Amino acid sequence: MATWGYMGLQDSASPLMEQLIFFHDHAMVVLILITTLVGYMMASLFFNSFINRFLLENQTIEVIWTVLPALILIFIALPSLRLLYLLDEVNNPSVTLKSIGHQWYWSYEYSDFSQLEFDSFMVPTEELGEAGFRLLDVDNRAVLPFNTQIRVLVSAADVIHSWTVPALGVKVDAIPGRLNQISFLISRPGLFYGQCSEICGANHSFMPIVVESVSVKSFLSWVTSSDEA
Amino acid sequence: MALTPLSRSALALTLRQLSRQHQQTAAASSLSKIGNRDVVGFGFNGQPSYADRIDFPMPAIRFKENTPDIMALREKEKGDWNKLTLEEKKALYRASFCQTFAEMKAPTGEWKSIIGISLIGASIAVWMYMWMKVYVYAPLPETLNPDRMEAQLKRMIDLRGNPVQGTSSNWDYSKGDWK
Repeated sequence: MATWGYMGLQDSASPLMEQLIFFHDHAMVVLILITTLVGYMMASLFFNSFINRFLLENQTIEVIWTVLPALILIFIALPSLRLLYLLDEVNNPSVTLKSIGHQWYWSYEYSDFSQLEFDSFMVPTEELGEAGFRLLDVDNRAVLPFNTQIRVLVSAADVIHSWTVPALGVKVDAIPGRLNQISFLISRPGLFYGQCSEICGANHSFMPIVVESVSVKSFLSWVTSSDEA
Repeated sequence: MALTPLSRSALALTLRQLSRQHQQTAAASSLSKIGNRDVVGFGFNGQPSYADRIDFPMPAIRFKENTPDIMALREKEKGDWNKLTLEEKKALYRASFCQTFAEMKAPTGEWKSIIGISLIGASIAVWMYMWMKVYVYAPLPETLNPDRMEAQLKRMIDLRGNPVQGTSSNWDYSKGDWK
């Protein structure tokens, strides 16, 4: 989950997010390599006191600094394309969650077993408990089972919103009149936080998303008990 | 007034002389700015100007105007250089050039002013921020009080938040303390 002073990506709670983190780390290595190389070249030119007024062109170095970047780009492109196709893999979700964006809250619908619907409002800062996370905690969390393939259908009731949970590597725009589908699997139990990611009005910063990941058994008992409630 | 043939030829003669002088003075007027200094080469851009540059070591003109002393030395320079004293060699150099290479390349110490003024600018920015913090900004939310942050941190650890490389990965659950 997000915490103060975080510079990097949150630890993954989903296999796809794990792959995204690996790709990010790989691309970062390449970028550091390029930066070091260019920085070294700039530094050595800076401290060079030789003068050559007639330096005009050189075919060898032109070939080198055309081929080398192309090679480096291949090293980035291949893992990137692999991940791109991995994200679009077909799978067979067991649970479907509908997430509807409103101004300014989310509403969740579980229609697989029974018709369970509820709204999820942010807890105002004044009403937070001693250990409440400001701008992140909500009154009703979206409960989902872990180690289960989940389908989320995202839409909106008024303006465009965006449903995101960074730890799961998910960000889906909620567009009125449109159903966007995303599929993921949660690897571990816990609370995973996200915030609306498309400007939607005055309280755009105050409609967070919380996914509570529990065991399948707990999930089933929650769904049945909530429905009864 | 009408020109008589005599005055006309006299005028023509004067004009011819003037034009010749004009050619000479036209050449000279562009060089008149340099006074009595010899043009000794092309220089860095073809203009008769003097500049000390390490990439163009031979300027177009000599640095100083010719004096009888220097002309005498130039004559002596045409002979054996071993017969020139060090003072004479230096005088010949300084007549043609303003600075030596060592003087051209000598560090200026400008970097101290640059660093100093940049740091003064940065510190002015910091002073401005501090003024803003005291007089302009609203107070921070209560969730940033140390006791609230401690409670939130404990909750993060209990929730196993970021257990791979982040917060909870640094907590030893069996010991009940940081690793």
